[in-house]
This record gives sequence, C-alpha cells and structure tokens, in this order.
Amino acid sequence: MKKVVAMILAGGRGERLYPLTRDRAKPAVPFGAIYRIIDFTLSNCLNSDIRHIYALTQYKSISLHRHIQLGWNILSPPLGEFIEVIPAQQRIDEQWYQGTADAIYQNIYTLQQGRPDLVLILSGDHIYKMDYRMMLAYHLEKGADLTVAAIRMDRKLSREFGVIEVDKDWRIIGFQEKPEIPKTIPGDPEGILVSMGIYVFNVEILVRRLIEDARSESTHDFGRDIFPAMIGKDQVFAFDFRLGDQGGTGYWRDVGTIDAYYEANMDLVSVTPQLNLYDAQWPILTYQPPYPPAKTVLEEEGRVGTAINSILSNGCIISGGRVKRSVLSPRVKVHSYAEIEDSIVLEGVDVGRNAKIRRTIIDKEVQIPEGMEIGYNLDEDSKRFTITDSAIVVVPKWIRL
Amino acid sequence: MKKKILIVEDEEGLRLLYEEELKAVGYEVLTARNGKEAIQKLEEGKPDLIILDIVMPVMNGMEALGRIVGKERKIPIILNTSYPGYRKDFMSWAADAYVTKSSDLEELKNKIRELLERGKT
Repeated sequence: MKKVVAMILAGGRGERLYPLTRDRAKPAVPFGAIYRIIDFTLSNCLNSDIRHIYALTQYKSISLHRHIQLGWNILSPPLGEFIEVIPAQQRIDEQWYQGTADAIYQNIYTLQQGRPDLVLILSGDHIYKMDYRMMLAYHLEKGADLTVAAIRMDRKLSREFGVIEVDKDWRIIGFQEKPEIPKTIPGDPEGILVSMGIYVFNVEILVRRLIEDARSESTHDFGRDIFPAMIGKDQVFAFDFRLGDQGGTGYWRDVGTIDAYYEANMDLVSVTPQLNLYDAQWPILTYQPPYPPAKTVLEEEGRVGTAINSILSNGCIISGGRVKRSVLSPRVKVHSYAEIEDSIVLEGVDVGRNAKIRRTIIDKEVQIPEGMEIGYNLDEDSKRFTITDSAIVVVPKWIRL
Repeated sequence: MKKKILIVEDEEGLRLLYEEELKAVGYEVLTARNGKEAIQKLEEGKPDLIILDIVMPVMNGMEALGRIVGKERKIPIILNTSYPGYRKDFMSWAADAYVTKSSDLEELKNKIRELLERGKT
C-alpha cells in the first residue's frame, strides 16, 4: 500500500470574512453551530483512512491550535498516526510563508522525515464531504504525477474561478484564471471544471517542482504557479469531485465572504439541507466541551421560550425568548421577550430581555443589553458594526455594548 | 569583469587548493569555513557561483543550501562532497550540479564554466 501524508494549508487569513477573522485564521472560524471550518477537511481525512496529517498554520493560529489540540487528540501515536500542527517555523527561510507552495517548500524536512509515496495537499478553508481514497486510487490508476480535484460548475460562473481544461481522458491540457469565455467539459457544453485546491502529488515530483518554483520568480502559489507550470510537462489529470462526493449533492463551499458564510449556515436550518450532517457513515468530528443539553423554559402569557427552524447547541438556554430560523452555538442565553430571527449566534452570547436581533451574526462572548435592537436600523448599526452587501450585520467578538 | 566564486569548505587544505586553482584560471575567490560564514559572505561579497561542501561544523551545507536559495534564487550552486548518501536529502535537489570531491579539479572547473555560461543567456 502507498504511504500517504496529508498537508492541510491552514494559514488562510480570510480577509473577506473580517471581522470573524479578526482574532482567528479562516480554518478556525466557527461554522454550523459547533464546528470550525477545518473540521470538515480533518473529518474527510479520517473518514478516508488518512491518519498522517500535518496542518500548516501561519497567521493568528492560537485559536486553531487550541481547537485541534482539544478536539482532535484522538489518533494513536503508537500506531504511527498523527495530526500535527506546524506553525511557520522559518526553518529554511527567515520569512513568513510567501504562498501556498512556499508553505510546503519550507516544510520539506517534514516530508523528508515521513518519506511518503503520495502527498495529499488540502485547504483548511472549504466545506465539503469527500472520500479522498477515490482520488488517490484514480491518481494511481492514471499513472499521474499530479491529480487535481475539480468540481463541475455552470459555465456562466467562469469569471469567478480558475477553470481547468481537460481532454476526453481527463488529462489536464490547460488552465485559465477567471476566463470570460471558458473551455467547457468534453461532452458537457454547459459545464466547466473548477479547481478545488485539492492536489495529489507523487512526492518526488512535488519536491522537484517546489524547488524549481522556489528558485524562480513566482508568487509561490499552487494554483497560480506550480500546477499550471506542470501542464504539458508532467502527467497531470483532473479528478471529478462527483466520484468522491460523500454527500451526493455536489456540495462544496469556499465560504470566502460573510454573505457566503451566512447563506451556508442558513442552509443548515432548512428542512433538508444540502450539507447533510446526519450521515453516520461520514461523521463530522469536532471539539465539544461537556456542556449540559440545550433547554427551553417558561410558558407564560407572551413569555414562552421557543425555537423554531433553528439549530440549538449544548449549553443553550432559551428562557422566555423566541428564536426563529437561527443557528445558535453552545452556551447562548436568550432572555425573556427577546427575539432572534435569521441570525447566527456564536458561543457564549447573552441576549438580554426585550432585545431584538435580525439578520445578524454575533461573534463569541458578546452581551447584548436589554432592549437593544440590531438588524432593524442599518444606519444606526453601521456606526458600530460591519454590514455586508446583503445587509447582514456582524457584531465582533468581545465588543462591549 | 572577473567572475566571483564562493568556496564553502571546512577543510583548510582543500579550501586552499580550490582557491589557488580557481584563481589561476582567472576567477576571483571568496572563502567560507561553514554554512553560516557562507551566508555572511553571500551578502557582503555577492558571488556569481557557490561551491558548497555538505559535512561542515556550525552549519552544514544542506541547511545553508536552503537558506541561500531563499535569499538569492538565481545564484548557481555546486554541491561538492565525498559523502554519497546526500541525494536522499530532498534539499540536495535544489543544487544546480553535484561534483564528487577529487584532487583532480577538471570536472569542477568544467561545471563552473558551464553554469556561468548558462547564467549569461
């Protein structure tokens, strides 16, 4: 059997997710009430029997580091299994990582020690469920040097993505960054193939191409530099995400912006979400402290603790307030007569009596004072909070109101 | 203008031999006794090519190689060693050429000429 090591690029700054990324890297941003974005990639690895995992971190990595330490300390070192967090060590160079390729290049010694046959390079920024084993088998079957996972999208979206051009055998013959007129999939004139930032490399080719890249003028990025430079030179194939998609719905989200983040969370409160978190064959693991179960209390005239079309996490108490179409992380308290609608409320938030919250994301540990309204008067809100193009209000962590 | 070559070698006798032989064929020569000195000389002397030993005290050639490539991408580097296992080290692949140590410097001189010629184009 081939020895596989996964390297997760977990240094993403997620600037367009500000202020959710003010204190944490993008992979550590909470998602779906109890998860962090990186939990999806890590769960995919474990569910795919990949248990040699490095997470390469850089900016604002404490939150991510703590999460992995607390929640992912579940592998067996005596069996040679590990999830290791590697911060930028400046081992080779005295700088921060210059790009995604540089992040791996700077950890060439780590690859050296492990001596894997194949390296699976992943991003810690994306939400999807995928069986990487299918992609690894495909890589070997094709005799590829590099295999790039690709998702089919409508050709109209070509200006937002890097578009991969393949021949009928799915050999990659071209790559265009955000083209106006994209090359479509053979036999599918309405579809394009978009790179998912998931790569399988034979280790020797990877090291050689990384060194070449390090020694040339380059932005040192996998998507922009390494992968395009290999087309036509090495054996490079695309892997159809549909062959490894564990949801069967083609679900893959970058959640790169606050609006995309909001929509992806809101999908989860629908009756049948596109992202199924209930599949026992593909569990999504995370760190959950031992909080007591969620509860709703009080049943008096006009003072009924209720939650409808919502997700409630452990430690939540809905005490005489009303929650509709919202995602509540652990330890959220909603006091009497308060209302929360179409919102995402992160851990430890306390919503005071008579407060009204609508279309708002409240980051951790915020106390909403009695009677405060957020999401009802955007002019007023814009004086204190971030407001997105879709008029979603974001209340930053620890703000004192 | 004379091309400048940095010789990184901890063994004094060998260092002197290289220095004299290369000066004799018209190169300007800088020397360093280990990787750390090499990095200093790289900044001060701006060499056109580096000849790098691997097994050295203070900082070995493999570590120096990574750092040199990080600072000066384009500068050609020849790994010069009698230690045969070095190719197992991924970082060794960053060198432009490999020459086994020998008292006959013809191969080394040829490689130097070849790499400096390549740099012109």
